[in-house]
Amino acid sequence: MNWASLKLLFVHEMRIVLRSRRTVVASLVLPAVLMPLLILGARYVQRRQAIQLDQTTFKYAITGPWADQARRLIVRYKAAAEFRNFHIEEEYPADPDQALEDRSLHFYVRTMSIAEADQAVAQNGGDAAGPNTSSVVTGVPGLQIVYRGSQQVARTGAERMVEMMRAARRSESYGVMLSRGFPSHPEGILAMTASNVATETQISGSNLGRFFTVILVVWLVAACSIVAMDIIAGEKERGTLETLITSGAGRAEIATAKHLAIWTVGLVITFSQVVYALVYVRLNVIQLPDNFAIDLSAQSIGQLFLLFVPLAAAIAAALLIVSAYARTYKEAQLHFFPLFMGSLVPALAAVLPGLKSRSIVAFVPLANVSVAAREVLTGRADPLMIGVTAIVTGLTAFALIRYSAKLLTREDIIVSAQQDESVLEGGDKLFQRRVFHWFAVMWAITFAVAANVPQFESARVQILFNQIGIFFIGSLLMLRRYRLNVREVIGVHRLRWPVWAAVLMAVPAAQVVAVAFFRIVNTVIPTPTELLRELGRQVVPSGMPMWQMIVLMAILPAICEELAFRGLLLHGLRNRFHPVLRCLIVGIIFGIFHYALFRIAPTALLGVILSGIALMTGSIFPAMLFHAANNGFAIVMDAAGITLNRFDWSTYAAAFGVFFLAMHTIWRYGRER
Amino acid sequence: MRVDSSGDAPVAVCNLTKTFLDESRGLIRAVDGISFQCRESEVFGLLGANGAGKTTTLRMLSTIISPTSGTARILGHDIVKNPSGVRRSMGFYSASTALYPRLTARETIEFFARINQYPDDKVQARVNSLISRFGITEYAGVRVEKLSTGMKQKVSIARTIAHNPRIVIFDEPTIGLDVLNALEVQKAIHDLRSEGRTIIFSTHIMSEAEKLCDRIAIIHRGHILACDTLAGLRQATGLHYLEDIFLLYVRGPA
Repeated sequence: MNWASLKLLFVHEMRIVLRSRRTVVASLVLPAVLMPLLILGARYVQRRQAIQLDQTTFKYAITGPWADQARRLIVRYKAAAEFRNFHIEEEYPADPDQALEDRSLHFYVRTMSIAEADQAVAQNGGDAAGPNTSSVVTGVPGLQIVYRGSQQVARTGAERMVEMMRAARRSESYGVMLSRGFPSHPEGILAMTASNVATETQISGSNLGRFFTVILVVWLVAACSIVAMDIIAGEKERGTLETLITSGAGRAEIATAKHLAIWTVGLVITFSQVVYALVYVRLNVIQLPDNFAIDLSAQSIGQLFLLFVPLAAAIAAALLIVSAYARTYKEAQLHFFPLFMGSLVPALAAVLPGLKSRSIVAFVPLANVSVAAREVLTGRADPLMIGVTAIVTGLTAFALIRYSAKLLTREDIIVSAQQDESVLEGGDKLFQRRVFHWFAVMWAITFAVAANVPQFESARVQILFNQIGIFFIGSLLMLRRYRLNVREVIGVHRLRWPVWAAVLMAVPAAQVVAVAFFRIVNTVIPTPTELLRELGRQVVPSGMPMWQMIVLMAILPAICEELAFRGLLLHGLRNRFHPVLRCLIVGIIFGIFHYALFRIAPTALLGVILSGIALMTGSIFPAMLFHAANNGFAIVMDAAGITLNRFDWSTYAAAFGVFFLAMHTIWRYGRER
Repeated sequence: MRVDSSGDAPVAVCNLTKTFLDESRGLIRAVDGISFQCRESEVFGLLGANGAGKTTTLRMLSTIISPTSGTARILGHDIVKNPSGVRRSMGFYSASTALYPRLTARETIEFFARINQYPDDKVQARVNSLISRFGITEYAGVRVEKLSTGMKQKVSIARTIAHNPRIVIFDEPTIGLDVLNALEVQKAIHDLRSEGRTIIFSTHIMSEAEKLCDRIAIIHRGHILACDTLAGLRQATGLHYLEDIFLLYVRGPA
């Protein structure tokens, strides 16, 4: 890295950004003016609406067998203090439904006989006996408020009438109970109070902490995108990118300077937004709830900076990549939206109850910041995990910057007319370029189907769909689409007997080693016990016969998943990454397909081992055997009630020795060299 | 054509090849194993029709894109192994290399001098001399977006040679310009050659090639069909006009 060039390029980028009137107005001036205008405008509209509703006289009618009683009830309760501003006037239309249609009525009150009321309850479910009861009352007369929900004024009037009638019902019930000898006031049967031991600061911090990261991420993405859209896509469109890359500056320096510019502008704008928000709170433009108290010490502010400054760097780098992929400014604008929406999902991690930064979430970028920030705001900051989070986010940003620098060396990125040869040649070469796309689509389908199709709550249906519908058929489609050599993909060749023996020997050893590994991890990052229980429940579902479990959870995954992951995916990546990196990538992708957060790490570890075996043997069959034996072993152990986490450390060390020996044997006798 | 790329020629191109995909035509060998050398202080012209491979060749020489095979050396720097060295040794000008609209003319020239590592203490003197040489003193402090096309052209050439490179590449520099502006560019090329620089110049306009080039390479479908002085080409073909010579090589004898 040439630091002098980097400095020069950064100053150059900042000068161009600051000279853009559009950027300055959109990022600094507009938010300062628009935010209070929007807030004041919304408040004005709300106030006007409230006044208008208070001044409205709602026209209603009463129908049905006990209309007179209902009329008396309404007259009596209309006088209550809480309904004093509720102005109503009774009308007497011949056809109330037609009157609703003509808008000459806002709503009408329909009294019903016991039979009618029971029928209405059966049809609509009723509102039960009261807001806090779950049983539906039958065998009593009914009262129904009929209105048109599409008219706001009518809806508000009807809702207030419902409130009034509920108050009337409660009061009438109490009256009846007292008159029949109930010993005290019905509400006085039990004195109940609640005592909250959390401080106001902790409560406010918890409430704010859940959405703090989302708010900052929205601000950061919006702020960074103002510059990012222009910084590569805009330059490509104007032709200045070509001018710059023919200068003496290196691509890494160009990408880094552009990243620094986006990062700087993003931080400045976000900081200014925070300052604006504080000023508006001070000026009472933004009204905080009563009892709202946030106690931010210098240390907490420092910790938040430590979390959000690397996060801003990662967001800036991601936006730079999006800008590089876009050919024009408009195309960049289109691409930003999915990134924007996608970033909100992990940012909402703080909303999940019980999730702590001292867990696997510390290694999930953005989600880790969200959780750690909530802990800081509630006064329960974990300094070690703040450090881990900052490092993980920083490394993510670094990797993304390196990737964006690489993009600037790609001809299809900088010279949009040019395309990769592989696109035309098709076959194996094209498959290598597209393999990630296939697995992304496969993941999206499994995720979408599992989340939206109720039938997939059944483990059998889900396993069959994923294994056969996604992995097996997906693999066949890839083989056919790219005319891949099946023998090459799955590695059909003779393997020596020590390999098979070593695979079988490795299975129990690997299970014990994995338990030891997670026990070590658990001492640093404790996993909540409820998560472990949930993992056990998902891995071995209850109520399934043993033979079905063996077929569906050991044999079928071994065949289908090995074909997809260790066959197609590993084959597709073979010329692109170092073998160790390939194992890690395939392992992680394998883990991500088991989309429950707490299953990712153990499955990814299994995926790495399986990828290693496939690479060492040049075939997926030993990995298939390992996979089937591993899952079968876990099922049998679970059925027998044997757990592996009660061994002492010498047993774990011995298991590690056996595992190492097995892996060495597989490596030694694996592929013919 | 056999070329020794290890010689002292400031530009030595050896078996340079570039293949890429065109959606409608399929896989194209845009440049197919071309070799040539440029001498000191000469204007070397690449003459060819649209799509002949001129721009692809010059983009490879300026390291915007990398060759599929073959290589080239510019003042001893290999375009594949040392692209930064190549870029600092040369200036690249084309119709698609635009200027930053929000910088002034002076800032533009100064930025490109510094980014190409022109000595810091001499940058201001160099910028002043270029501003005065191209007659843009009056507009030096005006943002590029407010300059006329002719002025922009001058600033563009000034920024190309801001770091005083020995090699300057002009890729169809007069495309889209009116006669007066085109003449200004031609004059600038002539002057740069007179200063001892080596110019590689691509065009499809015969009169420009005739007027400016010391040697002309006729390029067609990625191949160099002939490479000689205008006199040499005339002697080899027996034809006088470059247009006729070009057609003879491209279409074959009538």
